[in-house]
Amino acid sequence: MRIGSGTLVERRAARGQRILVTGGTGFLGSHIAVALLRAGHRVTVLVRSSKKLPAQDRVARLADWFGLDEGVRRSLDVAEGDVLDPGWAEAALEGTAGPGPVDEIVHCASNTAFAERKRAEVEAVNIGGLRNVLDFAARSGCVFFHHVSTAFVAGKRTGLCREEWVESGKFTNVYEETKAGGEILARDVCRREGIRLNVYRPSIVYGDSRTGRTLRFNALYFPVKAAVFLRDIYLADIRERDGRKASELGIRMKENGYLFMPIRIEAGREGGINLVPIDHCVDVFMAILEDGLEGGVYHIVNSRPTRIEDLVDHAKRLFRLDGVETCGLEAFVAQPRNALETLYDAYLDAYRPYMQDLRTFEIKNAAPALEKRGLVCPEFDYAIFARCMNYAVETGWGARLFP
Amino acid sequence: MDDVLKIAKNCRHYAMCKIDYLGSGVCASGLEKHYVSFYPEGRMDLYAAIAEKTIPITEKCVEIADSCNLCGKCDYQCYFVMELRPSKVMKALKDHVGAYLESGGKIVPAKDDRLLAEMKGIVGDYWATNDPAVRITYHHDLCPHVTFKMPEYVVMPNSIEEISAIVKLLNKNKIPYVVRGNGASSHGLVFSEGAVLDLNRMKTMDFDEKNWLVKVGPGIAAFDLQWEAKKRGARVHTAEPAALVCANIMTSGLLSTFSTAYGVSADNFIDAEFIARDGSFFRLNDITAPNLFAFHNSNAEHEAFAICVSVSMKLHPVTDDESGILVPFESLENALDFAKDCATRHIGLAIGILGEEFMSSFLAPTIKRTADVKDIFTQKLGMPYLVLLIGDKYALRSVREMGHPAIDQKLFKTLFHGLSALKSANWLDLLKELSSDEPFSYLRIGQFADLAETALAPSPAQLTQDVDPDLSPFFEELYSRPEMTDLVWLNTFRIMSSRYNREKPCVALVCYLPIDTSLIEEIQGRFQDIARKHHLKSALGFITPIDSGKRCVWEHDFYFDHNDPAEVLRIQQAAYEAGALIDDYSLKTGTIRQVRYVVNQGCCRKENLLYS
Repeated sequence: MRIGSGTLVERRAARGQRILVTGGTGFLGSHIAVALLRAGHRVTVLVRSSKKLPAQDRVARLADWFGLDEGVRRSLDVAEGDVLDPGWAEAALEGTAGPGPVDEIVHCASNTAFAERKRAEVEAVNIGGLRNVLDFAARSGCVFFHHVSTAFVAGKRTGLCREEWVESGKFTNVYEETKAGGEILARDVCRREGIRLNVYRPSIVYGDSRTGRTLRFNALYFPVKAAVFLRDIYLADIRERDGRKASELGIRMKENGYLFMPIRIEAGREGGINLVPIDHCVDVFMAILEDGLEGGVYHIVNSRPTRIEDLVDHAKRLFRLDGVETCGLEAFVAQPRNALETLYDAYLDAYRPYMQDLRTFEIKNAAPALEKRGLVCPEFDYAIFARCMNYAVETGWGARLFP
Repeated sequence: MDDVLKIAKNCRHYAMCKIDYLGSGVCASGLEKHYVSFYPEGRMDLYAAIAEKTIPITEKCVEIADSCNLCGKCDYQCYFVMELRPSKVMKALKDHVGAYLESGGKIVPAKDDRLLAEMKGIVGDYWATNDPAVRITYHHDLCPHVTFKMPEYVVMPNSIEEISAIVKLLNKNKIPYVVRGNGASSHGLVFSEGAVLDLNRMKTMDFDEKNWLVKVGPGIAAFDLQWEAKKRGARVHTAEPAALVCANIMTSGLLSTFSTAYGVSADNFIDAEFIARDGSFFRLNDITAPNLFAFHNSNAEHEAFAICVSVSMKLHPVTDDESGILVPFESLENALDFAKDCATRHIGLAIGILGEEFMSSFLAPTIKRTADVKDIFTQKLGMPYLVLLIGDKYALRSVREMGHPAIDQKLFKTLFHGLSALKSANWLDLLKELSSDEPFSYLRIGQFADLAETALAPSPAQLTQDVDPDLSPFFEELYSRPEMTDLVWLNTFRIMSSRYNREKPCVALVCYLPIDTSLIEEIQGRFQDIARKHHLKSALGFITPIDSGKRCVWEHDFYFDHNDPAEVLRIQQAAYEAGALIDDYSLKTGTIRQVRYVVNQGCCRKENLLYS
């Protein structure tokens, strides 16, 4: 190893190190960067400029969203660059104007698309981009590489998924496949170069369980958003027009003010959706960063997956819906999907593998750090659901996230 | 500049006030008096000239002002195309002339002229004039790189014999002349300090259905011809609705999205008749006729060799199962591949790749709405390129079998009538997720069209909600007509494409070239560099595959403000550089032909034009 664990602890304690976070404006990357800053670390975020905003402004906007005070912001540097560019580090870090060498790297930059047609883009970021960052780690003074991956590198296996390397397997989509490949790539480079490596594998991450706040409205949010948008469309048809279109699909207002919208959602009797709030995810990450000095693979998951039936009930209660039910595949054989169901089913398609997950995820490696701090992943109950979804509605599902 | 003068100076000379394309009627005085001066377009120029004191109040000026009955028909027409209200100009013209006369102002008489008297002897007293109020309306258009010329005479012959006699008279007196089909000019091609021969009176259409042709006089506009052909269950290949068919063939060779099936240049007609420069008559099908099928690819100015006095256009059969679709693409490369594939396999009658500028201008009923439509298609729906395809049921079935999700007639009507609601439709965000595996795959879901209809509550009233309130009832009724959402009708009659110059006029660079994505993108990139350098907007217009996909017609447009002298200077320079660039590529590749070199060679064989 390039550095002994004792020296590492001392250097970290002195807060003399600089940590580079790639994907610094992403959902996980920004939350991790903020947690590191609040813990007193000096952080450099690697950020691209967008079409509308330069990198610095993107970071400043996020810092406002997080409510970072000026003192904390002084420990933050912005390096503009793209991991897809092999020369990103020279441009972003190594020039005279750059923020200087980094000691540890938290690699969060990732493409989370599932679609096969986006394979080239996903591979470019999740493999090519990672390789570029590892190349930099190898030739720089980096002593610790923190690789943010996903629990779903487990792929299509069922049952217990261990905190170990996934050398091969079948995957649901290109995202899972490239994240699994990325872990192996990181492992090989770090072993060769004597760089410590932690791999963090969160499951599906949603907003803050305490405040409902979030920066992303995909994954958990998407099926709910689709149902709410459908509700609004047919409510408008009933309230503002003659309701003919709604009536054709059996949609009607009930006397209790609920909208009856008959949609059957296919769901198995077992399994569920593994949801982790961002606050817990970051807490666990920080605990492992601190305690997991020898390197390893860590699941950041919920030991109590949420049943789809519960999710549907939460949504019905919050959004005053009725008629949305879960049922087994056999129900659709007896009575084929109606128009609305076909449409909603199409909306759910990409997320289906994660909605009735039969996998369980080992939490052995992270357990000591969690127990030490009393960290327990919150159960996704109605209160948390309501907080998160109310924030989503309030911000127009992300459209009004920033002033 | 006051508001009325601003309207007057924004006339695009597009001649849409001369055809009854909305079924709302055409200016009665124009139909009776034929000179462009008696149409709203001419009165706009006349008012501007009087307001700026370019010409005095003359006899014709008074007649022109008096001839307007302020019926307001021109408002419907001009608002549809340009969002202008010419009736304000018409009223200002009448008020101005009336006030002048009431205050004792004298009418300046036209000059006596021997030559004019001889012309009148040929065409009749009313049909030749040297009055400045008429001449000024034949003096200019919006072309930025032309020195305009004020003609001494405007003559309106009504027969081949009269044209021949006038030409001989002008030759004898060494008077230069140009010929116009209906008085209009939009591309700087027909100006003379001598005489303008306006053939607007020669509106003959003789259908010979047994031989699948219609013989058309030089005063016939595309819309009117197409209307008559449609009544007979046929189609003629025409271009812009107000373009004169004979003139169109002579200048550009006549091209449109239907060129995919119907071709260009000599593909369009069977025969044509001409008056030569010496006043003699010949038919193209005469064994001794000059070889007008040749094409000389050079930038040397090709002088008009003769006056086309009739053309026998091909009639094309129409089946009752024709329909239109719009096939969306995320990239130009994919759109080109699809268009080429269809053309190579002879799928479809009309194919056109529409860029965002054209698509948004065509569909939006107002300028304000144009930006919204662009945002909806490019950003919210992620469709920067739409390929229009018109075909029979077998063609459309083939496209489905090729696996492309498409916007069909029903969905097009929903989206078009629901444009306002689309702007604020937050559910559009869901479509991206819905199509994660395949772009636009939601279009395949049978229920999507119904959902869109429910969500958008589309209606003509919604579409016209930001139209001027007093015009709103008319436009609401207009957009409720079936043809206004019928892609076949709209592309046959092309009334919406006349909006392409609504925000600003443009210089269109039109080329024939192979369907080669890298070549097109490379040249397009260079065009955009030129536009950026001169602070001008430029954009893809359209691309249509022709000749079994071996070539395409490609239009790229540079927009400018014709009322801003600095911008006119910049567009002149940009157009020069872009033209030179195409010349370079043409030399380098040996496969590019420019439509500007087709001017006065429009009768050429397509094969001579494209490949020789």
